Amino acid sequence: MKIDSTHRKWLIASLVILAGSTAIYVPYAARAPHGPSGSSRVGLGFGIAGFALMIFAGLLGARKRVPVWRLGRAQTWMRGHLWLGFVSLPLILFHGGFHFGGTLTTVLMILLILVVASGVFGAILQNYLPNVMRVEVPFETIFEQIDHVSAQLLEEADQFVAAALSSEGALAAPTPERGGVLTEEYVTVSLTEALPLQKFYEKEVRPFLASPAKRGHALAESTKSRTMFQGLRTLLPPALHETVNDLEDICQEERQLRRQGQLHHWLHGWLLFHIPLSLALLLLGAAHAVMALRY
Amino acid sequence: MSPAGTIELTVDGKKVVVPSGTSVFDAARMNGVAIPTLCHQQNETPVGVCRICVVEAGGRVLTASCVRPAENGMVVNTASPKVLAARRTLVELLLADHPSPCARQQHTGDCELERMGMHFGINQPRFTRKSTSRGKDESSASIAVEFDACILCDRCIRGCSEIRHNFVLGRMGKGATAGIAFDNNLRMGESSCVSCGECMVSCPTGALTNKVVTGTAFATASDAAQVKPEELEQLPVFKGVSGTFLSLNRGAVVRRHFKKGDVICREGEYGSSAFYILNGKAVVSISSPIAHVKTHGGAKGFFSKLTSALAKRDEHKREEETSQQVIHIDAPMDLKYGNPVAELGAGDLFGEMTCMSLYPRSATVQAVTDCTMLEMLRNVLDIMQRNKNFRAQIDKSYRQRALDSHLRGVPVFASLTDEFISSLRDKVELVRFAKGQVICKQGDVADSFYLVRIGFVKVSQKHPGGEMVLAYLSRGDYFGEIGLLKGDVRTATCTALDHVELVRISGEDFSRMMDQFPEIRRKMEAVEQERLDANRQRLSLVQSVPLESFLNQGLMEAQSLLLLDLERCTRCDACVRACADAHDGITRLVREGLRFDHYLVATSCRHCRDPLCMVGCPVGSIRRRNSLEVIIEDWCVGCGLCAQNCPYGNINLHPFEVTIDDPEHKGRKKAVMRRKATSCDLCTEHAEPSCVYACPHDAAHRVDPSKFFGSVFGVAPPAPPKRVR
Repeated sequence: MKIDSTHRKWLIASLVILAGSTAIYVPYAARAPHGPSGSSRVGLGFGIAGFALMIFAGLLGARKRVPVWRLGRAQTWMRGHLWLGFVSLPLILFHGGFHFGGTLTTVLMILLILVVASGVFGAILQNYLPNVMRVEVPFETIFEQIDHVSAQLLEEADQFVAAALSSEGALAAPTPERGGVLTEEYVTVSLTEALPLQKFYEKEVRPFLASPAKRGHALAESTKSRTMFQGLRTLLPPALHETVNDLEDICQEERQLRRQGQLHHWLHGWLLFHIPLSLALLLLGAAHAVMALRY
Repeated sequence: MSPAGTIELTVDGKKVVVPSGTSVFDAARMNGVAIPTLCHQQNETPVGVCRICVVEAGGRVLTASCVRPAENGMVVNTASPKVLAARRTLVELLLADHPSPCARQQHTGDCELERMGMHFGINQPRFTRKSTSRGKDESSASIAVEFDACILCDRCIRGCSEIRHNFVLGRMGKGATAGIAFDNNLRMGESSCVSCGECMVSCPTGALTNKVVTGTAFATASDAAQVKPEELEQLPVFKGVSGTFLSLNRGAVVRRHFKKGDVICREGEYGSSAFYILNGKAVVSISSPIAHVKTHGGAKGFFSKLTSALAKRDEHKREEETSQQVIHIDAPMDLKYGNPVAELGAGDLFGEMTCMSLYPRSATVQAVTDCTMLEMLRNVLDIMQRNKNFRAQIDKSYRQRALDSHLRGVPVFASLTDEFISSLRDKVELVRFAKGQVICKQGDVADSFYLVRIGFVKVSQKHPGGEMVLAYLSRGDYFGEIGLLKGDVRTATCTALDHVELVRISGEDFSRMMDQFPEIRRKMEAVEQERLDANRQRLSLVQSVPLESFLNQGLMEAQSLLLLDLERCTRCDACVRACADAHDGITRLVREGLRFDHYLVATSCRHCRDPLCMVGCPVGSIRRRNSLEVIIEDWCVGCGLCAQNCPYGNINLHPFEVTIDDPEHKGRKKAVMRRKATSCDLCTEHAEPSCVYACPHDAAHRVDPSKFFGSVFGVAPPAPPKRVR
């Protein structure tokens, strides 16, 4: 979610809660004979408020499971999740008087810090990466379709090269436009002249397109790729330059798809950390609440 | 000395006697001397335009024997070296202006000019071939015209005028631009040509040929019997149809026998033929449930789940849903909304739209008695529709059986009295238009009112920026009232999008109707005002955002776009899941599409101003409200043509299980799957579309593009994205 001026109200509300809590906490901490404690009335109040905010933040996941229920707009829930979830950290710190306490509470505090930190990290990523994706991946497709589109690109590249190297001896090099439509223009190219294209394709382009998971390929870098294709053009007659351009475009699209995959993992990968920790925090928090209130 | 009334002349050294007035050509022919010719036929008046029949007749120059009367004592030489040389040069000149081989030579090898060239041993004319093309005319369903192959022999013109008395063909232009033309230089399919085939039979080259199209004959089937042309000619409905044509289209008509209970065609299926009932009875009906897809739940409670189900319009009233009581189908009658069943009998023709424009079948036809029908393909139906007898029969049937329901089916005419309709019965005119033909032009004087009987009509207006489509009209719609009510000129151009048949009511009858029925006038004026306002509104929108790329992406055509702000969207697909959840698991949006600025225009119904999805609906169930939103009426038969036609892939087919009578087990029911077309309904059950509501990142917006992008580009004051309901 992009954090911009539309979040002003939430920022102010969070600051008000924080200021109010601080205003309560500071005199309370100063006056408490044994220092602030989670079991005191004020400390318990901070604990309940902090845990309530955590539960609210955690309910976002449940809210997303029923997207059409009219429970408030999802973006309102998301904003609440961000800001109130963030505010829960100081409230819990006030609750414990900035002490971590026993084992369970220490674990809870560490979990809370990790959850908030991962949430902030995720928020930062989701604030910036969508625009990075927009700029760097104009050929963006649906994430689940990336493998399929990659396979199509490989097939397309095979067709371009096959069309350029078609027939034996003197070659007719039809220049297929993107999309597989053959143009009317036929230029005769000899087999020897076309050999560098064939070699380059088999040695560089095809392995790059055929193994999307393999790292470190020269064509995976746009600068190197540009240089390599430029070098190839100098070895080929002009009639084959169109095919080279097409292959270069295909490699560029493949690079973009890989970049999309990377960005997608960055955009959503942190949730693999954030969500389990949040669930653990809520469960252990509930256990802590029950134990503390009962015993 | 020759007998009285005769003349004596010498042809190639042989003295011959012929009746006076005989041409040199005939004199030679009558005495066994064949003079080659291209433009002359025995059954046509000679015109002497090709000059191939030149002979030496004693004068200073050679003379065309077909037009030169024989004279007493004339000495004619038909094969002197001078004559042969001239003839060869003429053939060479004609061949230089003729594609070789032409269509006729390719198919049947009997192009008279090319055979003559071979006779003279001309492989390649000495003269430079013409580099420009005069084009082709493929508008006729049965005859192909290749103007390049025409040698201007006029045989077709004389065949049309002298033999058939149709007077459709003539000459146009002068010199190098001269050519044959139909009517006032119309395309053949748009002209008054009755497809008698005489021109084609007369043509010596491949300029006029029998159209070779796929599917000119039915595949031989066990239940179908080919009908011989001689048999067809005996049938009253084929009276007057050219036997030549029937022979050329042998196999394009079959006789089918159906037993009681047999299904002749099913709604939604694609076909290419029409049926003419010779005897027996059949019922025409719509078996798809007459209902629309309704999304239930959600709005009434926080936790109620959304489901999609079928609802009739009296159970679930939608905004601006039509109140029409009839469903227009591809048959001589309309069906009632509450009981979509009607009977067809001997002499009825059905399936015209499917046959002429290849639209899906609009209804299911089932035999109720043993029936015999003629099933015909487009080439034959086209010939028949041009045949005066057949037209008269179909027109009569329409006037007697369908005019009433057709007129009353239009809500504004519901209050017309029986007497008035009876008085109109003989006055209305049924007119046909071929694909692409202009019915009336913006700026022309308004003289008629039209009701659409068959086909689709595009209504468009010309503006400085180009043409803007205002509407697509289908069966049951009407046009032409604005100009007549205002007593002014046409405000828009109406063009036939396919084979169109209209009911034309003259301006005088329309005025009489308006005077006699003030209530109808009031309603018409209200409709007129509504249409004019909508046009004005569209025009103002078009003028507000003059951006080329905006137009290139077709965004101006949209009136509601689902935009995803790519700077905010985390690609979490919450919008897609929400849409699927709201519509029984079938999403009506795909998070992919064109990009404009930093927005992704998602694949979801745009409620286009030029809604191509509406063109071709066989039952006219997809239309738009006055607010321009697309609505799919209850009688959608699930053929899927609208989904195919939508250029943005924004219409889906939603399957439903319904129970129908089991034709194999009488009295029993069986469950079958039926489909209904659906497009984005903007989740009308809710205050906001689910996709927008469920987006946690404030990235999804339903917007009016012209206003939204207008503000983005500073044409209008900046405003936050306004949600469109």
